[in-house]
Amino acid sequence: MGSGHDQGESHTLRGPPDRPVLIAIRDLVDDTEPLATAALDDFLDPQTLEVSFDDGLCDAERARIDVQWTTRNDYKFHYTDSNEVDLRWGKHPHDSDYENVTGFEHYHPPPDATSNPTEVEKSCITQSTPQLVTRAVLKLWRTAYHADSLVPLNAGSNPP
Amino acid sequence: MADPPVPGEFDEVDEAVGQEWETETTPYERVREVISYTYTPVSAPTVAEQARTSPKTARKHLNTLEDEGFVTAETGEKGTQYSRSRESLVVEQAADILARLSIEELVDRIEELRNRVTAFREEYGVDSPEKLAVERANRALAGSGAADPIDPEERREWQRTRRNLAFANAALAIANAERFVGGDSRPTDENALPQ
Repeated sequence: MGSGHDQGESHTLRGPPDRPVLIAIRDLVDDTEPLATAALDDFLDPQTLEVSFDDGLCDAERARIDVQWTTRNDYKFHYTDSNEVDLRWGKHPHDSDYENVTGFEHYHPPPDATSNPTEVEKSCITQSTPQLVTRAVLKLWRTAYHADSLVPLNAGSNPP
Repeated sequence: MADPPVPGEFDEVDEAVGQEWETETTPYERVREVISYTYTPVSAPTVAEQARTSPKTARKHLNTLEDEGFVTAETGEKGTQYSRSRESLVVEQAADILARLSIEELVDRIEELRNRVTAFREEYGVDSPEKLAVERANRALAGSGAADPIDPEERREWQRTRRNLAFANAALAIANAERFVGGDSRPTDENALPQ
């Protein structure tokens, strides 16, 4: 990487948070997932949509997914739970730092949502609209919830 | 508390959610949803692909949405390009804000957001994050010392607050205007409205 162009700058989401989209995602989550409650961190000037789950994955008792979405359709969906497990689906430029990721969509795997360039994975989510990305995240969450495993979160499939 | 439904089998989550969305909605609803958050103009076939419908159907619905003021259409070298109408977006956000906040709360929050934007302007000595980028680039080109770059998160915060302040100001302006255009004037909040 060139000097004066550190990872912080090149990995920043493009564009400011988009309130209209965060509201649409909030409504979709509330309509779709009985275990989840979604709220803007600030009603008028939100940065993040906080989605709280009444149950966590595996044996975690509680969990949260923090959603960021920008006017240029970059996003982060960061999962964290009461067992201190973290993981994140993201879409933003990364200066080709993530060795296994060709596009902008990627997955920071559990248990600590690592940003190690060799460990960040290609994301199974390549949809681009807020509607479909959110539906995909909720579907993966549910699949993992019923499987009592974190593996389905980026497997992208639910085999028989 | 209800348990989440047990998900069925699926091979690819992308395709599975796309199919579910298609089953649950009409093409019109999908076209409207896709264009809602499209701020940079795109062609009808692009919208069609995202909305899982044909270009012809997408174009028909986009033209209806343009008639309703929801969409802006521009015809140029690349043919007709569509995006969300800015006016429609502002009015929608203003209505959402007015449904939740009282005029007093709104006035207080606007002052707070305005102060935050002013603080950014004073800190960086320019009117906008865009001007700051230009100014920093010019300084770097002129080789006049190391331009200390604005923290990217701070730049986004500035852009975010400025944008949401614009929505909030629109909400207040609409509430203000509504007092005088109907038959009855609203009895409350008289003192909270700055004129």
